[in-house]
Amino acid sequence: MTVQEVRLCGLLLQEHFGEVVEKVGTHLLRNGAQHLRAIVHESGISLDLVKKSLCVLVQHGACVFSSSRKGPGSPTQYLISCDRILRILRYPRYIYTAKTLYGDTGELIIEELLQRGHMTMSSVVKTVADRLTQNMEEGRSMDYSEVSSAFSKLVETHFLQRCPPMATAQTTDTTTPATPADPVSTTLPTPESFPDCYKVPHVTLIGRGKRPLSSEDGEDQRNAKKAKLDSETHGDEGVYWQVNFERFHLHFRDQAIISAVANKLDQTSSEIVRTMLRMSEVMTSPTATCTKPLSANEIFRSLPTSYNIARPILDQYLSLLVDDPMEFVGKAGESGGGMYVVNLHRALANLARATLESVVQERFGSRSARIFRLLLRKRHLEQKQVEDFAMIPAKEAKDMLYTLLSQNLAQLQEIPKTPDFAPSRTFYLYTVNQLPTARLLLQNCYKTVANLIERRLFETKDSKRLLEKSQRIEAILASLQASGAEPEQLTEVEEMITAPEKQQLEALRLHINKLDSAENQVDETIFILESYINSTAASTS
Amino acid sequence: MSGRGRGRRTMTFNVDSVGISRGDSFPPSVQQPTPPFPVMEQKPLPLTGGEEAEYLLALKQEFRGAMKSLPCFIQPAAAHRDVERYSDKYHSSEQSEHLMDWTPDWKRFPKELRVHVRKPHRDGVSLSQSNRVQTSQKKKTVKEKEEVLLKLESLEKKEEQQSSGGEEEEGEEKKKQEEEEAEGEEEYDEEEFEEETDYIMSYFDNGEDFGGDSDDNMDEAIY
Repeated sequence: MTVQEVRLCGLLLQEHFGEVVEKVGTHLLRNGAQHLRAIVHESGISLDLVKKSLCVLVQHGACVFSSSRKGPGSPTQYLISCDRILRILRYPRYIYTAKTLYGDTGELIIEELLQRGHMTMSSVVKTVADRLTQNMEEGRSMDYSEVSSAFSKLVETHFLQRCPPMATAQTTDTTTPATPADPVSTTLPTPESFPDCYKVPHVTLIGRGKRPLSSEDGEDQRNAKKAKLDSETHGDEGVYWQVNFERFHLHFRDQAIISAVANKLDQTSSEIVRTMLRMSEVMTSPTATCTKPLSANEIFRSLPTSYNIARPILDQYLSLLVDDPMEFVGKAGESGGGMYVVNLHRALANLARATLESVVQERFGSRSARIFRLLLRKRHLEQKQVEDFAMIPAKEAKDMLYTLLSQNLAQLQEIPKTPDFAPSRTFYLYTVNQLPTARLLLQNCYKTVANLIERRLFETKDSKRLLEKSQRIEAILASLQASGAEPEQLTEVEEMITAPEKQQLEALRLHINKLDSAENQVDETIFILESYINSTAASTS
Repeated sequence: MSGRGRGRRTMTFNVDSVGISRGDSFPPSVQQPTPPFPVMEQKPLPLTGGEEAEYLLALKQEFRGAMKSLPCFIQPAAAHRDVERYSDKYHSSEQSEHLMDWTPDWKRFPKELRVHVRKPHRDGVSLSQSNRVQTSQKKKTVKEKEEVLLKLESLEKKEEQQSSGGEEEEGEEKKKQEEEEAEGEEEYDEEEFEEETDYIMSYFDNGEDFGGDSDDNMDEAIY
């Protein structure tokens, strides 16, 4: 965990769960696993708030608890997961993906689950149906069964999964929970390790989404209704669902590869790669370096007919893809008209490399990028060689090379001819290591996002008064409109915001939108770099 | 070694190789940190626009807004402002309403977190219940309150004695009295603030107690 990660996590927690959770969260991030007493004592927050914060973190899966190594009976320890908190940055993308795949219903299901952490299927279905009904025109409503089927589809495609059951909930009721029963296994159980992780329980849900009652009906009625709903059982109590981020990441990865192929070659080849990825989606394990080999015949049969790709053309495209220096597609054999695989990890590495190159190009100019690429390709080069190969005048080349070196984008390797490291008898070799450079860049990205958030908070704080005023006036306008006020009255209220104030608000909105968009787009880079780094970790272990 | 003390620094290696020719002087050494906002040599690229980016933006902002109103958004114990206000009562009830929405499945949480988190739920439901839960803590504040009330009472008596002297002064006296009362209230609040307990949020004093007998007051608050 680096300083940048902790800072970003803190900001994300603060924005989504409030300051108290932020304090507890950063405390846990800085100090590792701790038990309740220690957190309360060291953070100086009241016991009650710490408990509430921990509940929130556990509810959202950001924090796991287990009994410490000393065995059962010892205090429960809380461990916060930095990676899980950083996922908050990607929430919009998950929701958007669910929308593109499963429409509005999917979008709302994912959104609801992300907001609440984990929920039972019945409560998700009910809330989503209610929300959809609310957006429909009067007299129409959403059937629960429709939402249920969308939910089942999301589970079938593994975008949703069950929360792992609590190991101790049934066994120990009186003592403090002691997760994994045997203390030897220190690894936490992954959701996938439970057999019915993707099994949808039989849920009895009949009815349609309801509109919220108008506020006139009063609290009592609503509470009464709520109580009535709660008392109903749907047969899925205790089965909680969460969003399977890994599955979303696989989808993002596939999309990244497809769009990279489309940009590099053309639309048709991207459709071929898409078909290959879809065919192997089920068979390939999430950590595999490449997909299962597919024969050209199989690919041909699975291609949607609308593409109109003839068999010989497919072969040509495939050989073109194999020859491409990006190596997205590889050839695994000759049988069955040629066996082809998609090199998943190689593709990620190449995408990450392209990202690094473009970062260097945009920050230091295209000639520095040339040197950077040269070093990436030739591994180790002496200064003189760099100047010659890059075909850049020596003085400028040195300047650029030293800039890269000082930014830690290039490294210097000394190889002494004699054991005394005398400079005159030492080779100085410049090199670029892709993995450490990617890590460096990833940290820079985290810092960037943290800075963007900080800036946004500053901007909002600066014009807090103005924002509050505009909100109040909007509320007044809404209530006036509801009560059917005269148009003059409305304009009168509207004019309470002066023209310069309006201008200021507009500028603020523009700035905040820009900052928010920037956060989203930096996250795309973060995703590529993270996947690349994770893929190298998976292939070496 | 031979180069030492000749006035011009010499290096143990050939300086030509780092791009400094024989006649050039070395670049000045920098002895301060790099500026926090260095000049950007290259202009950044514009953000990609389009429908998708805009939708993502809207989702992001909506999500952030929605999170703020959910029960899991924990507010810190609100810092007490100068005086208690009538509207405070409604603010605190608003918050507790959010908390009531959230009834987590306690099977999924460690036992030790469980008991106390329910407190805020009760707080919202009725004052009397919350009072009962926190009687021990409440006693303290009641004591303080009693002190304040006694002080006020003595002040009142003093003023009554004074006011009997001349009727013309009464108007002025009243003003003074009011001022003093306000001061008393402020003091009282500060004491509360020093306690730094969050349960105060749920406690609302409608101000009726100030006129009443201090003994009555005790009974009412303790149960």
